[in-house]
Amino acid sequence: MGIRFNQVSHGYTSFADGLYTAIKDISFEISDKNEFIALVGHTGSGKSTLAKHMNALIFPTSGTLEIFGKTITSKRDKKIKYNDIRKKVGLVFQFPEYQLFEETVEKDIMFGPMNFKISKEEAKALAKESLNLVGLDDSYLTRNPYNLSGGEKKRVSIAGILAMNPDILVLDEPTSGLDPAGRRVLMDLFKDIHDKTKKSVIIITHDMDLVYQYFNRVLVMNEGHLIFDGDPEKLFREKDLFKNHLDYPNTIKVLDYLNKSLGINLDIYKRTIEEALLEIKGAEKL
Amino acid sequence: MKSVIIGQYIPGKGLFYKLDPRTKIIAVFLLMVSVFLFERIEQLLIALGVATLLLLVGKINIIRVIKGLKPIMILLIFTFIFQIMLNKQGQKVVEHDMYFTLFTLLFLVIAFILWRVMVKITKFRFTFFFLFVISIYLTLRYVDYGQTIIQPFNFAIYEDGITMSIFVVIRLLIIITLSTVLTLTTKPTDLTQGLEKLMHPLKKIGFDSESFALIISISLRYIPTIFDEANKIMMAQASRGADFSEGKLKDKLRQVISLLVPMFIIAFIRSEELANAMESRNFVPGEPRTRIHELTMSYRDTLATLFSFSVLILSIVLKVI
Repeated sequence: MGIRFNQVSHGYTSFADGLYTAIKDISFEISDKNEFIALVGHTGSGKSTLAKHMNALIFPTSGTLEIFGKTITSKRDKKIKYNDIRKKVGLVFQFPEYQLFEETVEKDIMFGPMNFKISKEEAKALAKESLNLVGLDDSYLTRNPYNLSGGEKKRVSIAGILAMNPDILVLDEPTSGLDPAGRRVLMDLFKDIHDKTKKSVIIITHDMDLVYQYFNRVLVMNEGHLIFDGDPEKLFREKDLFKNHLDYPNTIKVLDYLNKSLGINLDIYKRTIEEALLEIKGAEKL
Repeated sequence: MKSVIIGQYIPGKGLFYKLDPRTKIIAVFLLMVSVFLFERIEQLLIALGVATLLLLVGKINIIRVIKGLKPIMILLIFTFIFQIMLNKQGQKVVEHDMYFTLFTLLFLVIAFILWRVMVKITKFRFTFFFLFVISIYLTLRYVDYGQTIIQPFNFAIYEDGITMSIFVVIRLLIIITLSTVLTLTTKPTDLTQGLEKLMHPLKKIGFDSESFALIISISLRYIPTIFDEANKIMMAQASRGADFSEGKLKDKLRQVISLLVPMFIIAFIRSEELANAMESRNFVPGEPRTRIHELTMSYRDTLATLFSFSVLILSIVLKVI
């Protein structure tokens, strides 16, 4: 049993226009194993608010939330150790600047595990291990996190969460601000972590190409409501994405264009560029 | 935090919103000076009445202002008590011995526990605080059996002490009300622009009022931004197990560093971004600039200035007579 949302709503109070409800009446379930979920939605649709609920950083204004058997309500419960929840559900924020603070990368990655009462030697080993996991070699251990490039900072901040060895990993736009190659490397990395450890991974993203290519479950948010939960292909077949301020993957768009302009009948639902290319080559032979 | 009204701007449409910030600053300054010139209690009471009248004229919610005064109440109570206790001039009004015995100590502990419990249960925090203070006084005065811990000491209230304390409290009340009217009805940007214009003549002695105003308005503008960033940093570190509402004090102290370092870094990043943005829009320090909203004076400003001047002159005349 992982995370279960029961009709969760969350409102922010603001001076200008009173209560602004960021997410409304959300119900869904995430199991603690074998899930690889994409969370998509336009800017301001409540994705990040939803993600912050997953490790009890913020509490629902109405509705309840169950995280590993603990019930989270709108009030802070003194009996619940919220730190334990955060150890089980690791949340990586979008901007690494908010969490990097130590002089060396090693110390910074060790900060998370050390907060959970792990000995220094173990934390050091974990730091090294998770740094290698995100694709950086040992030479980075002694470097200053503020002298790294944007992509490297991002990797270090992800390693900081991975070192805590969470059961569920939530990543808020881990691929934003990276070049296409860097994106693919990071996504392969997450897929790899998921395949090796069977941990559940939830990734917030805008990139529909990545969604189609990597994920088998997608959650779509629109103006605070959860409007879709299921297979990405079903999403592209059934929903009008442009209405929800979203886009189709490039493979679908290209094949659809070819179909319309050449008057042929290709299967447009191809996950990768390679598959799409094969489909086009197959059509050429005919 | 939300009840603190001092220094907060609340949008509205009253007479004071239409006044020029320069007029408001000058008027508040003049009125404050005259409040300090008044020497008799009747005059001060009238001044307090006039200050409340100003709130009515400006259509400012008086209940809101009184609620905003709450955090200042403690300061007022302390000045009141200290004035009464420490002023030893004039005729004696009350005089008697105070005892401090083992029994007194017991009573005080009970009173303290009762006060803390009641504050947690009920809403009337101030009422119970007063009850607590009165009960301390009563036990000190009347409970005299048991072994004495401290020798009985003399407690006396003098006439001048009472008048002085009332004086100080009313003066503070008037000053706070006036400055609240100023900040409540003036946008921070207007306030700094007004200050800038008023201090412009100081340029001759080398004081750069424009930079000064810019510094103030930028710092005011960035308070909510920095607050927001601090919140994000706290969340990012909380997801790494550094939750400030849990854990021991020793751990918390260590975790504070994890908040301060990113805070400084982000503040530096922000300021560099702001500097670049300003420069790319051709901002050059010291060069004359135009503004979207130029300050303009109207007949209302003349009236307000005349009013505050006449109050000042009246107070001087009263003082001389």
